[in-house]
Amino acid sequence: MSTPLSRLIELGKGRPTIEVLEAGQGPALLFLHGAGGVPAWEGVLPLLERHYRVHAPLLPGFGKSTGLEYLEDQLDLTLHGFDVMEALGLERPYVLGESMGGWMAAEMAALRPKEIGRLALAAPVGLWRDEAPVADMFGMMPHELVPYLFHDQSCPPAQMMHAMTNLFSEKDDRTQDQVEILLSLMRGFRTAAKFLFPIPEHGLERRLPRIVAPTLVVWGTGDRFLAPLYARIFAEKIPRARLEMIANAGHLIGLEQPEPYARAVMRWGEGGA
Amino acid sequence: MKFSFFHLMPYRWLPADFRERYHGVWVDLPNHLYDPVRGHQLYNEYLDMLEYADQLGFDAIGVNEHHQNAYGMMPSPNIMAAALARRCPNANILVLGNSLALYNPPVRVAEEFAMLDVISGGRLIAGFPVGTSMDINYCYGQNPATVREKYREAHDLVIKAWTTREPFAWNGKYTKLRYVNLWPRPIQQPHPPVWIPGLGSIETWDFCADFGYNYSYLSFSGYKRAQKMMEGYWERLAARGVDQNPYRGAFFQQVCISDTDSACEREWWPHCNYFFNNCLHLYPGMAGAPGYMSEASMRAGIVAQVGNTRQNMGQDKSWKELCEGRYLVAGSPATVRQQLEELARSLKIGHLALGFHIGSSPIDLTNRSTYLFATQVMPHLRSIFADAEDRWSPRPLPAKERTLPGSQNEGARRQAERPVAS
Repeated sequence: MSTPLSRLIELGKGRPTIEVLEAGQGPALLFLHGAGGVPAWEGVLPLLERHYRVHAPLLPGFGKSTGLEYLEDQLDLTLHGFDVMEALGLERPYVLGESMGGWMAAEMAALRPKEIGRLALAAPVGLWRDEAPVADMFGMMPHELVPYLFHDQSCPPAQMMHAMTNLFSEKDDRTQDQVEILLSLMRGFRTAAKFLFPIPEHGLERRLPRIVAPTLVVWGTGDRFLAPLYARIFAEKIPRARLEMIANAGHLIGLEQPEPYARAVMRWGEGGA
Repeated sequence: MKFSFFHLMPYRWLPADFRERYHGVWVDLPNHLYDPVRGHQLYNEYLDMLEYADQLGFDAIGVNEHHQNAYGMMPSPNIMAAALARRCPNANILVLGNSLALYNPPVRVAEEFAMLDVISGGRLIAGFPVGTSMDINYCYGQNPATVREKYREAHDLVIKAWTTREPFAWNGKYTKLRYVNLWPRPIQQPHPPVWIPGLGSIETWDFCADFGYNYSYLSFSGYKRAQKMMEGYWERLAARGVDQNPYRGAFFQQVCISDTDSACEREWWPHCNYFFNNCLHLYPGMAGAPGYMSEASMRAGIVAQVGNTRQNMGQDKSWKELCEGRYLVAGSPATVRQQLEELARSLKIGHLALGFHIGSSPIDLTNRSTYLFATQVMPHLRSIFADAEDRWSPRPLPAKERTLPGSQNEGARRQAERPVAS
């Protein structure tokens, strides 16, 4: 696994300071993370950096990024995405967003359609259907959340995540490092909750038809967190979108099936279908 | 000292296998477990208990607000307070309280509290809790990142509405109103005494100090565990140059009294067991929505937040452990007298809110305990802190200006029921 470079960018007075992780050479790819952040350069990222210059900015509350208080609502968050894009010097980039980051990417593409060159949404949140409620990640214990995130509970990343949730158990013998890991997870969840609590839906569906960027929707066939029902809605409502289902993947596609996921993103980046 | 009977109003009929079948008593416990016919009986029984306390000379009778649970059946405490205001002519009405961020617009709280104050002749104590995360985030959908700021804005609006005699505009971040103009307005001037329930954060202590409010520490862990917390409060006040008047503090303690210590255990254990193991069967996944706690509180309470709410609140403890740890002050009148005096002196609090109804306790047992307290314990504790001035109790209308419920009908009956003139 490679190590990305990390740098801090101050977006200006009254705006957040953000950490950006960057790796690889090639055309730019803006990666917007999900509610788990980017705790390690893993999943689809090391595969994509072989073909792209991957820029992964972290939202306030994740990593070393700060300034959540400057982002009050969903519009602020979307505009923040453009501020980051500009600070990174990216023009009409290829944007890949996972889960919460996918929602953010879709909002950006709907708000300023001409400023997003190409779009890939990996199991984005942002829609709601009563018949398939999105799992309440803010109202359960961490060890209860893990089964929603994987198709195969016995795969190594699922096992590792289960082991980590033991840190949340009632034992009181954590090391200082472990306490810091817990706190960083909680800070990230706090950011996610600010924009997604209690129902992760704020009208994106009626804005999806505004998107003009060529859009790929990627979804795991075994997603228990966000039912594949939502994949079809995204694909139908975004003009000319392409839907690619990844077999044997749950919600965290990158952790469970990184290769087919990366191939789909790269094919789409080359203009392929 | 001042004494209130504080009722939680739990649901008494949870099934025996409730703990095994459901992960918690709050938020998502299906309401097919609630029988409204039994609920009818319970509400009236519980209100009877509070009315009895009014007759026995308690300073106040208290109710509070919780949502979607079997722990406390008062989603609207103001409805209970209204029922009490008409039936109880003596005691002050302690509503502890209304979770300000849940009311849209918050002027609703100013209005309803003003109504209660006017109906009761100026006997209202106005409580403003932020509310538990279960109530305000999970049940009422408030955003945990902003709910405290929203609460503070609502507080400022309510106080201004109470104390302003001309219409004004309110351009808040969370509430925008072109015309705020309270009808009715409260009897008590400048407004009813305000009590703030809290669980020990410095921010809440400072809030109370800034506005001169009573700080009410509401926990179920008893006074021994609360001592450090209350010491922190008094030290904070001292550091800010605020006087140490014991009536600046209120404390909640569950109490059961029987004729003897051994009778107390026999009579009360099943009901206390029901309370600590059913009513406090809380699902830790909903103890605190992300952002409900500040970073500092999160760091301090990292264990408490993520899993061990049960360790602190008295679950799975024996009667002996609950009594020795003072989760319960229980026993004969003499035992309770001694322990409550210790409580008052160790915490230095002037307002004692007492939970006489516990878990599944029926009215005969509860009223016996209430009676023994009022006759055998309360008189002995009255004189504690007699030198301090209680500025946190209501200032009702003088008796001669008060209208008693029903009295108007008596005067009007002769005229109303006269024969029809032809």
